[in-house]
Amino acid sequence: MHVIRLDAVSVDFDGRFQLSDINWVIEPGQHWLVTGTNGSGKSALVAALAGMGERMSGTWSGVPERVALVSYEQQAELIEAELRKDDADILDVISEGTPVGEIIDAGCQDRDLANELVDTLGLRPMIDRAFRKLSTGETRKVMLVRALTSQPDLLVLDEPFDGLDGDSLAWLQDHLRVLATTVPMVIVLNRFDEIPEFITHVAYVDDGHLAHRVERSDEASMADLYQLLHLKTSDLEVPQADPADRLPALNPSDPLVRITDATIRYDENTVFEHLDWTIETNQHWQLSGPNGSGKTGLLSLITGDHPQCYVNDIFVFGFQRGTGESIWQIKQYIGYVSTALQWEYRVGTGLRNVIISGFFDSIGLYSKSTDMQKAIADEWLALLGMSERADEPFSGLSFGDRRLVLIARAMVKHPPLLILDEPCLGLDDMNRQLVLALIERICASNETAVLYVNHRPQDAIRGIDNHLTLSGESAS
Amino acid sequence: MANYFNTLPLREQLAELGKCRFMHLDEFTEGVDALKGKKIVVIGCGAQGLNQGLNLRDSGLDVSYTLRAEAIEQQRQSWKNATSNGFTVGTYEELLPTADVVLNLTPDKQHTSVVNTIMPLMKHGACLSYSHGFNIVEEGMQIRDDITVIMVAPKCPGSEVRAEYVRGFGVPTLIAVHEDNDPNGEGLALAKAYAVGTGGHKAGVLMSSFIAEVKSDLMGEQTILCGMLQTGSLLCFDKMIEEGIDAGYASKLIQYGWETTTEALKYGGVTNMMDRLSNPAKIRAFDLAEQMKDIMRPLYWKHQDDIMTGTFSSGMMDDWANDDAKLLGWRADTAETAFEKTPAGDVEISEQEYFDNGILMVAMVKAGVELAFETMTAAGIIADSAYYESLHETPLIANTIARKKLYEMNATISDTAEYGCYLYNHACVPLLGEFIKGISTDVIGKGLDLSDTGVDNARLIEVNAAIRSHPVEAIGGVLRGYMADMKQII
Ligand SMILES: NC(=O)c1ccc[n+]([C@@H]2O[C@H](COP(=O)([O-])OP(=O)(O)OC[C@H]3O[C@@H](n4cnc5c(N)ncnc54)[C@H](OP(=O)(O)O)[C@@H]3O)[C@@H](O)[C@H]2O)c1
Ligand SMILES: [Mg+2]
Repeated sequence: MHVIRLDAVSVDFDGRFQLSDINWVIEPGQHWLVTGTNGSGKSALVAALAGMGERMSGTWSGVPERVALVSYEQQAELIEAELRKDDADILDVISEGTPVGEIIDAGCQDRDLANELVDTLGLRPMIDRAFRKLSTGETRKVMLVRALTSQPDLLVLDEPFDGLDGDSLAWLQDHLRVLATTVPMVIVLNRFDEIPEFITHVAYVDDGHLAHRVERSDEASMADLYQLLHLKTSDLEVPQADPADRLPALNPSDPLVRITDATIRYDENTVFEHLDWTIETNQHWQLSGPNGSGKTGLLSLITGDHPQCYVNDIFVFGFQRGTGESIWQIKQYIGYVSTALQWEYRVGTGLRNVIISGFFDSIGLYSKSTDMQKAIADEWLALLGMSERADEPFSGLSFGDRRLVLIARAMVKHPPLLILDEPCLGLDDMNRQLVLALIERICASNETAVLYVNHRPQDAIRGIDNHLTLSGESAS
Repeated sequence: MANYFNTLPLREQLAELGKCRFMHLDEFTEGVDALKGKKIVVIGCGAQGLNQGLNLRDSGLDVSYTLRAEAIEQQRQSWKNATSNGFTVGTYEELLPTADVVLNLTPDKQHTSVVNTIMPLMKHGACLSYSHGFNIVEEGMQIRDDITVIMVAPKCPGSEVRAEYVRGFGVPTLIAVHEDNDPNGEGLALAKAYAVGTGGHKAGVLMSSFIAEVKSDLMGEQTILCGMLQTGSLLCFDKMIEEGIDAGYASKLIQYGWETTTEALKYGGVTNMMDRLSNPAKIRAFDLAEQMKDIMRPLYWKHQDDIMTGTFSSGMMDDWANDDAKLLGWRADTAETAFEKTPAGDVEISEQEYFDNGILMVAMVKAGVELAFETMTAAGIIADSAYYESLHETPLIANTIARKKLYEMNATISDTAEYGCYLYNHACVPLLGEFIKGISTDVIGKGLDLSDTGVDNARLIEVNAAIRSHPVEAIGGVLRGYMADMKQII
């Protein structure tokens, strides 16, 4: 086998879907798993290897002639073709359609194997029946037999284990393992717990792009990929707030935040002045501006972490600052995540406690938590795909995982305002996607106003339509 | 002015010394209410002044600062600290006449002159607060009868007071009411509200007396906390050099060894620290500690006696009057010691190696903690207080040595602690001279030759029992239990 090489390849599928800028090298001896969310294009990608779709641009080399493909799309196509045959024969006697045996024989290169497979997969009783009369599971088995007996140079299987009964599944897994010593494979799977042993590489497809390529032996990247997939695909809901711990109600006619003619100044250096800003309930904001323009300072006027909040006209969550309120009364309405917080959050406590600390707005946990709070924290860990790690020390987590846990900590009480100060800063590509996936789930599933500091267009979050830009020239 | 403690009859002296009670969180349900709407004016904006003020303001209280006129005119650091944090700053005349509560957070040696200046400006029935009782107890400062006098003393440097508050926690704090000055019976309520405002209630509050605070604070800082660590550093370093151990290694073993070994105290007291040693090493450390305790016991007694009689404070006040000549001289001497001048070498020392090769250091900590505790409690100071001023604070001070050796320790602690530390050191170094001659590298620098790790069972049982049954372990277990309830993370 040759090296298969796709360079900047784009493929169009009937104008309905496009793969774009695919760069992929499959070396001899490699077996790839392709994964991604529903609709990400993972099936399209492997179908393209089997010659489907219209190649728009880019260069291809080394794709073998005989590529066997098993997929739902291809299964559907075959059934459709059978149905069309039926239509064509309408004038004649009513056709039963092509029998299973004939379908299997077409393209079969190994009759003994075909016989064995028909028996093993329990297809013998239906060998004379019309293919189109089979159930979906049975049709799938027929497709597998066709592919496996065609002596392909590349075997492409899209969700091959889907809908197989236990015995057939075990047999197929065994068979593929043997086959893997001679035939390269590309397999689409949505679940990581089913990855066959022989898989050497994993590709992650997102929005028509081949987003990540990871070597199986790179455990850290595999774990990230697993989590990303989990966050994108699990149907867990964002956990509810603690019903026993309701925040004091806010007056609905007040804005969440109203800053009037604000100034931040250090000695002679004015960071900004005459700044007015109102954040209404449920409004999402993006805050941007160059370094040093005072973004973090502005946020800390809101959170109460900036001492100059006492000399500015600031109204937050029903409190005019400096009139006898405590910062804990303010902080209870805010969820907050930033790189600085992550640096400060140096504690040896376990992940569950870190998430629970969000109920108390503390760094570390100093109060007894209720069973309800623990249960909610565990739901968050499940959402993050970290259920087994609840008691692991926070300080031992990877940088990206710590960020995810801190976002859960910020959200655990369902604050009216979630402040994300460059939540993707310092994260690699995969972890950025993880964080964005989590934030998108949060934005979509509740009534929190999100205040998002971000410069990078790639990191934009859907649904944020108010923008404040600090110019950095001491005026807004 | 006379030493206030010495004016009391013995019965009252003992009663005051014995005052100390660990307060439970549910005693603070009124929060900061007693201070709500009151005008709090802080004098001085240094380590304690700034950080306590930031916490009190963030707890919803009305805080402003008054500084001496020169500090305002010259826009000194204290003025910058206050103004850059958005606080109102005014002269004594501008702010004090309307103040309800005045926090005196100037250096201890300035208290007499500061309090004499501000008292006439304070309004009738106001409250004056301290964070250390030296002025009242040792100098016998008399406060106007209508004024309530309280103390709220965080058992940590100012930077920690702020950092722990921001995390949502606090630092252990001692509060007291000066019985002679509680005309309206509101002292305790004010002190409790103040402790809540700084976050101290979350970490544990000891209800004590001015006298117990001063006498235990002085004793702890002079002996185990600062004195023993300084003496131990100098002796262990010189010994290792004499025995041919690499200077960089010796310097590092000591600089970080105190921090590493005393970290074990935080979790499980002396018992846990000793349990970190191998069985043969533990028995060696135990024996060394017993020998040192016998040698040093008279010194600990002398320090406690001098503190009780006022000899210590009058000696130090003489030095204040003499422009700190002794203090500054001793400070300069410390900077010239071999340990201080030898940078830590670029060698890897594992956490366990600090124990294995620092058996003598572990023994010194054990001896110092136990002696200080025994001496304080024998003098009538209650066990809780003695625990905080000995075992509890040792790791906090050890951290400062890890940062920048003895220089950092002496820069962080108060001048009073520093003065007492040098006094102790000058007496203790010669006292341990003979003992140190008999020491070799198996207990400092290299560790025991453990080809045979066997020990006699009966002896090990005896040693373990002796370590565990020391009274500092009993009270430590109880107080760490309270702390752990509140603070799950250390
Ligand atoms: N450090 C600790 O770990 C600690 C712990 C607990 C309690 N305490 C106690 O807290 C109190 C304050 O200690 P600190 O460490 O915060 O002191 P500090 O950092 O030295 O600050 C003292 C402040 O007082 C001002 N000041 C100095 N001399 C003055 C004078 N003659 N008149 C008026 N103001 C004067 C200074 O400002 P200017 O010089 O600019 O005027 C400075 O702002 C002491 O009673 C101490 O025992 C300290
Ligand atoms: Mg002390």
